[in-house]
Amino acid sequence: MNSQNRIATVRYAAAYDALSQNIEQAEKNAQELTTATKVLEQVGSALQNPRLSGVQKKLILNETLKELPQAAAFIGVLIDAKRLNLLGAICEQVQTLLDDRKGISRAIVTTARILNAVQKQTAKESLSIRYGKTIEASFELDPALLGGLTARCNGELLDGSLKTRLEKLRQQITK
Amino acid sequence: MAIRPEEITKIIKEKIEHFDTSLDVSEVGTVIQVGDGIARVYGLSNVKASELVDFGHGVKGMALNLEYDNVGCVLMGADTLVHEGDTVKRTGEVISIPVGKGVIGRVVDPLGKPLDGKGEIAPEKNMPLDIVAPGIIDRQPVKQPLQTGIKAIDSMVPIGKGQRELIIGDRQTGKTAIAIDAIINQKNIPENERCICIYVAVGQKQSTVAQVVKTLTDFGAMDYTIVVSATASDPASMLYIAPYAGCAIGEYFMWQGKDILIVYDDLSKHAQAYREMSLLLRRPPGREAYPGDVFYLHSRLLERACKLSKENGGGSITALPIIETQANDVSAYIPTNVISITDGQIYLESNLFLSGIKPAVNVGLSVSRVGGSAQRKTMRKVAGTLRIDLSQYQELAGFAQFGSELDKESQRQIARGKRMTELLKQNQYAPLKVGEEVLVLYAGTHGYLDDIEVTDVLRYEKELLAYMHAQKQDTLDVLNTATELTQEVENKIKSVLDEFKTVFKPA
Repeated sequence: MNSQNRIATVRYAAAYDALSQNIEQAEKNAQELTTATKVLEQVGSALQNPRLSGVQKKLILNETLKELPQAAAFIGVLIDAKRLNLLGAICEQVQTLLDDRKGISRAIVTTARILNAVQKQTAKESLSIRYGKTIEASFELDPALLGGLTARCNGELLDGSLKTRLEKLRQQITK
Repeated sequence: MAIRPEEITKIIKEKIEHFDTSLDVSEVGTVIQVGDGIARVYGLSNVKASELVDFGHGVKGMALNLEYDNVGCVLMGADTLVHEGDTVKRTGEVISIPVGKGVIGRVVDPLGKPLDGKGEIAPEKNMPLDIVAPGIIDRQPVKQPLQTGIKAIDSMVPIGKGQRELIIGDRQTGKTAIAIDAIINQKNIPENERCICIYVAVGQKQSTVAQVVKTLTDFGAMDYTIVVSATASDPASMLYIAPYAGCAIGEYFMWQGKDILIVYDDLSKHAQAYREMSLLLRRPPGREAYPGDVFYLHSRLLERACKLSKENGGGSITALPIIETQANDVSAYIPTNVISITDGQIYLESNLFLSGIKPAVNVGLSVSRVGGSAQRKTMRKVAGTLRIDLSQYQELAGFAQFGSELDKESQRQIARGKRMTELLKQNQYAPLKVGEEVLVLYAGTHGYLDDIEVTDVLRYEKELLAYMHAQKQDTLDVLNTATELTQEVENKIKSVLDEFKTVFKPA
């Protein structure tokens, strides 16, 4: 995605998010947009079709998204602005903004062995203490780490893996 | 002394005991696109401009474009090792080169890795490549001469220590030859005044660099020379940093009070490498498709040539940048830029070169804006008016071609000019000591050659120098060390020249 599209995405998402007064509403709206996006995927390329006029497209929209008025209005704006292609990215960005409202950070924790529930909980708690946010973690497996774990969160990589430590030791000894 | 086995174990044990086991925290991003030596990275939101980033697999990169949603980096290694989705780490450092005494006599790449197969170089310090040049207070005016050993240059476009003198000309006009001669000539200079020389090869053929290194080795010049090489097959990023790397090595020695002579061969290729990088990073192209900051690219490099004040140790960096022109066009973009930055230029012309005048210095267009005050007094007195005389001669010679009759004074000027032009010819790899130059030029400017055939002039010079070495070494020694052309010294010159006149047999 180029910078122009990226900027547009962020602005539309921020506008959609700003419609909500509180967290509950924001969650509802975000949910609505996600559902609408999925519904529209089934409608397929009709909304992108240049042979249909804007009025026709809105008719389709109103018909398919009857139960989702907020999302339908928003997507109508996107159609007018010829930005429908950004819908998927906007949806993701709205989710990120919702996470911010809820104080949630997403993390990817990679380990060499499968963790049990207690260990997973400990990892999440340690991360939430470090970043001061609730952590929603996804866990991955990578035997190449040998031991320990790495966590990616907030654009940072916390590397406590055996592999990295051994590498550091090697560098120190050969220096 | 050999290292004992138990010592190694002990050291390793200590290292393990003091090993830092704390968590390794780094800011990371993800490669979203890679190719053509450029990578675009998502994330790294706090990265700073010119910061070094680590792509893993031993490939480092430099963050150059900080954009709204991505960071444009140039890779300092093979882009085939980096893949989409790879993790990129910030290092928090700027790019630097390890320097130390051990680097003298070596061939290194712009990251300081040895290329000559002579083993590791022990670093004493890491110098960042991009340093802001010393300010006004830290400097003093250029005042000491830097002898190149080339008659035409030392007499007419003298170079001072701390000066930036551009060598400009078409391909195959002897630009590199002048720079190499200047390096070789440092051997003729007493050790306390000798420069440490740095030859930076940018975008040249490997074979050319190998040839230069061999020449320098053969003449014993590698003992005080460092070669920084980024050849044509290296990535553009390496070519881009090579001159800064050379300069950083020079600065390390300069701040120790040493004198440095640095040759950038050549800055046209450097500008082209920067253009390549800039276009791939999608920076807007300007004139000749160079980016808008191509002037700054060279000005910030050449500003780092300087003569430090006494309080700072009095070291100096003299820069000899080389620019290759196309079809003698000095008004192209890069040549005009570099001409305006430097303190003068030595303009080499292919016409002169092909008519056998080597070095092919165009006297009219070559200037040295600050070197005059640095020129040795003996040389200044001998060659003071030489440049103007030769320019006048060339103008007159143009008229004389029409066969018109000339007055006596003009005929004399032409005769003198022909002999001086002949006298200023010099073979490659044959730099002269300052005393020899003064003697030979004195003979020319004071009419000792006027009754000798033009074809005999070079033989006269050769035999005169041989005669001096064989019989009058003491006079040469006086001339080599003399700072002023006193009456006494001048009388000595006159007497040996008169004496030699009786020995020399015209053909």
